[in-house]
Amino acid sequence: MSTQPGLSSASGLSSPSVLAALIRDTFEEALARWLFWGLFGLSTLLIAIFLFVLRIDVVQGAVSLMGIVPTSHRIPDIHKFVNVSYAIVSIMLYIWGTFLAIFASSGLIPSVLEAGRISLLLSKPLTRTMLLAGRYIGNVLVVSLNHIYLIFGIWIIIGLKTDIWEARFLLAIPISIFIFAVLLCVVVLIGVVFESAALSVMVSVALMLISTILAQRQIVVKLLNSEWSRQLWMAFYWIVPKVYDLGAALRQTILYQRRVDWLTPLWTSAVFGVVVLSSAIYVFQRRDF
Amino acid sequence: MATEYAVEAHGLGKIYRTRFRGREIRAVSNLTLCVPQGVKFGLLGPNGAGKTTFVKMLLSAVNPTSGSAALFGKDARDPDARRPVGYLPENHRFPTYLSGRGMLDFYGALSGLDAHRRKQRIPQLLELVGLKDWGDVRIKKYSKGMLQRLGLAQALIHRPRLLILDEPTDGVDPVGRREIRDILNGLTGTGVTVFINSHLLSEVESFCEYVAILSKGELALEGKISSLVAGHGYRVAARGVPEQALDQVRRLGIAILPNPEGIEVQAPTLEEANAAVDRIRAAGGLIVSFSTTTGSLEEVFIRTTQAERAA
Repeated sequence: MSTQPGLSSASGLSSPSVLAALIRDTFEEALARWLFWGLFGLSTLLIAIFLFVLRIDVVQGAVSLMGIVPTSHRIPDIHKFVNVSYAIVSIMLYIWGTFLAIFASSGLIPSVLEAGRISLLLSKPLTRTMLLAGRYIGNVLVVSLNHIYLIFGIWIIIGLKTDIWEARFLLAIPISIFIFAVLLCVVVLIGVVFESAALSVMVSVALMLISTILAQRQIVVKLLNSEWSRQLWMAFYWIVPKVYDLGAALRQTILYQRRVDWLTPLWTSAVFGVVVLSSAIYVFQRRDF
Repeated sequence: MATEYAVEAHGLGKIYRTRFRGREIRAVSNLTLCVPQGVKFGLLGPNGAGKTTFVKMLLSAVNPTSGSAALFGKDARDPDARRPVGYLPENHRFPTYLSGRGMLDFYGALSGLDAHRRKQRIPQLLELVGLKDWGDVRIKKYSKGMLQRLGLAQALIHRPRLLILDEPTDGVDPVGRREIRDILNGLTGTGVTVFINSHLLSEVESFCEYVAILSKGELALEGKISSLVAGHGYRVAARGVPEQALDQVRRLGIAILPNPEGIEVQAPTLEEANAAVDRIRAAGGLIVSFSTTTGSLEEVFIRTTQAERAA
């Protein structure tokens, strides 16, 4: 069969322009949804709150704030104080940003699976894997923009006010994006199987909470009295994405400026994401629409 | 692979299973059908006959349980097989956040059309479907008829060789229907195969050359419309026929209708028509005319689906 002029000759499996069109469509849909404007609006609000709070004189403010803290816990200098602030803010943004991003993204998979929309998309010369990949990548890019805007904005404000530019704070950007990308795999799987935005939010948030509980393994393992239950706990710990561990590593890096083990929580979470996303693709390939 | 068929289905079947009980629902059964290239083809059938499932199997939106399908000789599961296909689904849901122009651009890109060609083609299509002034308006402001025309433009954007339209005039007012029909008529002689899935018999009859009727997921009838509706019965016009003779004719199970000249007898077979003539002539009635009648597609459809139902 000859290709018509102007028609891409690339296979439906590998055409970058098709992927770009799918990503652009995800962007346009995301921006058309009030939830995404809400996400950006809340980020702007947070930045505005920081602008307002930091209008107080930093040194005076720090001294006053330190006056509240018991003498034994007082932070000796302003540099240290700013670091503590950076650590607290980064964790707050990490949790807040991830939760809101999941909430805002939850409808993007079910919406594309609506009858009458999916059948038209599937009639085009593209693979189902590419269709899902376009949605996934587009979603991650939209949320990445928001995270960069929020975290970088707050970093600039704190830096301008204190003249302390803690570059490690910016680690919150890739870590937040990474954990969102992992949890988005769950949103995609639930979306493909059940077409339910609410259920995908429930499961993703539950995973965040479960990750926090499972991460207390050193305490819990001592409390469990049988070997199999300890093994089971640890098995779950290794399977579930390390939302808590990555947050803790971020806090330690900013606060204590020490080298922490990033690799283990990163690769185990990445494996979880890859397995879940592959399962979503597998189910999507076999579904009838 | 060179082939004379735009669509080929061999022993195609689809069984759905309910989620919890696993009960089997046979939507399409052992369907073998070939649509030659360049023809206007209508797929008919009552609700639930398996028409949409069949179309979706051609487009790989539904995975067949058995058999195979090909588009222009290429396995329908191959994404490249769908490259020459334009499709307008039934109950479509176009992205309402896009404008008409944006939607055509998106689906044009997915159809493999490069940016330069899309830029050229979109204004032409908006003009063709009468939406030139609506291109920059968001789709959510469009009426049903406008959406349908935009959907048609979407299906035509990459100059497909096979156009599959699922209920293309569903919910469209008569003027809109006429406009859609005119656009489709404009494709005559271009070599484009038009495959219409519709329950509007008159529409299929007036537009299509070939038709297939599905019933209970099986192919009940297939052929050229002109031959399916030809030579379908006999009509005898007469005058001066006594009431007694009319009763005799009625007793033969033959329908009698009044006409301006007297009566009209409608007989399904040649033997029954001759028996009616014998009775009328014997009673002194005068035969005015004797002719064959062509049935409508509606009659063919009802007879076929009823026979299938009875089987």
